Amino acid sequence: MTPIIDANVQPHFRYNAEIRRYLPDAHKLRSIPDVEQQWYQAPGGDYRQDLYGENYPGSDPETVSRHLFSQGVDYAILNPLTRGNIADYLLNSRICAAVNDWLLDRWLEPDSTNRFRGTMRVNPEDPKGAVAEIERLATHPKLVQVGVPMQSREPYGKPMFEPIWEAAAAHGLPVAVHINGGNGVDHPPTFAGHAHTYPGYAAFMPLNYFVHLATLIVEGVFGRHPRLKFVFADGGYDILTPLMWRLDTFWLSMRDQTPWVDRYPSEYLPGHVRFCSSAFDGPVDAGKMQRWMDFTGKSDLLMYGSSYPHWSTSTPGVMAEGLDGPQRDKVLWRNASELYGLAVRESAL
Amino acid sequence: MVQQVPTRRFVCSLDELPPGGMKLVDVGKFGVGVYNVHGALYAIVNYCSHEGAPLCLGLIGGTNESAPQSPDRMRRVRDGQIVRCPWHNWEYDVTTGQNVADPRRRVRTYQVDVSDGEVYLTA
Repeated sequence: MTPIIDANVQPHFRYNAEIRRYLPDAHKLRSIPDVEQQWYQAPGGDYRQDLYGENYPGSDPETVSRHLFSQGVDYAILNPLTRGNIADYLLNSRICAAVNDWLLDRWLEPDSTNRFRGTMRVNPEDPKGAVAEIERLATHPKLVQVGVPMQSREPYGKPMFEPIWEAAAAHGLPVAVHINGGNGVDHPPTFAGHAHTYPGYAAFMPLNYFVHLATLIVEGVFGRHPRLKFVFADGGYDILTPLMWRLDTFWLSMRDQTPWVDRYPSEYLPGHVRFCSSAFDGPVDAGKMQRWMDFTGKSDLLMYGSSYPHWSTSTPGVMAEGLDGPQRDKVLWRNASELYGLAVRESAL
Repeated sequence: MVQQVPTRRFVCSLDELPPGGMKLVDVGKFGVGVYNVHGALYAIVNYCSHEGAPLCLGLIGGTNESAPQSPDRMRRVRDGQIVRCPWHNWEYDVTTGQNVADPRRRVRTYQVDVSDGEVYLTA
C-alpha cells in the first residue's frame, strides 16, 4: 500500500475556553475571539457535521488517530489555528505561545504513535515576538514548521517580516501559511473586496497566497534566504501556472527594477514553495489532471492535505484521482517526506 | 528563400557616429543598427526577438544589477551598451546581442569595422 502523509490536519481545543489554561496570568481575563467566530461560515458549521459532539471536532487525539491512521495515513502534520490577527499584537503573541504549549501538552508529547508532527504558531504582526517564539521551540523534534495566517495587513515579502523568515530558515523550518482569522484585523478576502456569501469567500480566499508568494520572490526574500521554504496550506496550486506565467512575463520586461531576481520567478518554486491540496482545486475532469500537474512542475510542489476535520475534508483516493504513478507517489507522500524529513514505513514501499 | 550573402558596405564616416550614437542601416528585411559604445562599434538587427518590434529605435543606456550593500540594493552598470525595446522594455546588450534577463533569447549581431575614418558593416 502507498505510504500517505497528510500535510494538513487541524487539531482543535475541546472547547473554546481551553486555551485560557495555557495563557499567562496577566492575560487570563482578556476577551479573545472564539474559533468559528466570523461572518463567512459553512452552513451547519465549518467542520464535518458528523464530528460535532460534546467537544469540538478534531479535539480528541485518539479519535483523530483512529480516523486518519486506520485509513492508511502514516504521518499527520498538525496545523492548529489561533484566533487570527487581533488588534492587540502582544496579546496575540501570547495566544500563539498558548496554542503551541497546548499542542505539545495535549497532542505531541503524549503521542505514543509517533505519527503526529506539529506547527508552531507565531504572530507576524509582532516580528520580535515571533522570532523569540521560534527560538524557544525550534529544537523540539516534533515541531516541524512555523505557522502564520494567510490574512495579513502587508504581503509577506515586505521587509518587516524578514527576520521571522530568516529565523525559520536558520532552523530549517518551513513556514506554513493557512487561512486563520476573520476577526477584523484583515484585508477583504478577495482582491476586489468582500464576497457576498460563503461560496465566494471559500472559492477565492485561498488565492491570496499568490500575493505573498509574488512578493517573496520579487522583493528578493527567497534569493536572500536559500533555505527558506513556504507551504501554502489552503490549496490553490491549480491556478499557480497562469499566475507564474504573468510574473515571468513581467520580469522579462522590467527585470531592471528588481535586479536581485536573477532568474525567471517561476524558477524559485522548486527550492522554496510547496502547496497542500484542497478539495476545491484542480480540473473537474480528472482526465486533464496529469497534464495540468506537469505545467510549472506542480507535481513536485503538491502535498496531500486532508483539512480534517474541516467540512471540505478530502481523502487520499479522491486527491490522487487522475494522477499517474509517479505523480501519485509525490503528492501522497514523497514531497512531504522530503520537506519534513519523515521516513515512511519500509513495508509501505 | 534565397539567403542573402553578407556584403561589406559603407555606413557613414566615423565623425557621424560619435560615442553614444546609432545609425540605422537599410539592409535586409528589418534594417541593422550600428552603435558606437564608448568608441567601439557594434551592430544588431533592428528586430526584437520577442514580437518583432524595431528594437534599435529603443533607448540606449545602462542596466541595473543587484548590489546588496547599497541602500537601494542595486547599481547602474554596462552604461551605453543596453538597448531597451520600445514596445515591451526587453533589454539587450548590443555588444553581444544577448537579452539581459535571459541570455538564451538573443538578437543577431553583425561585424563592423573602421577603415580610414569610415564605418563599414558586413550584413
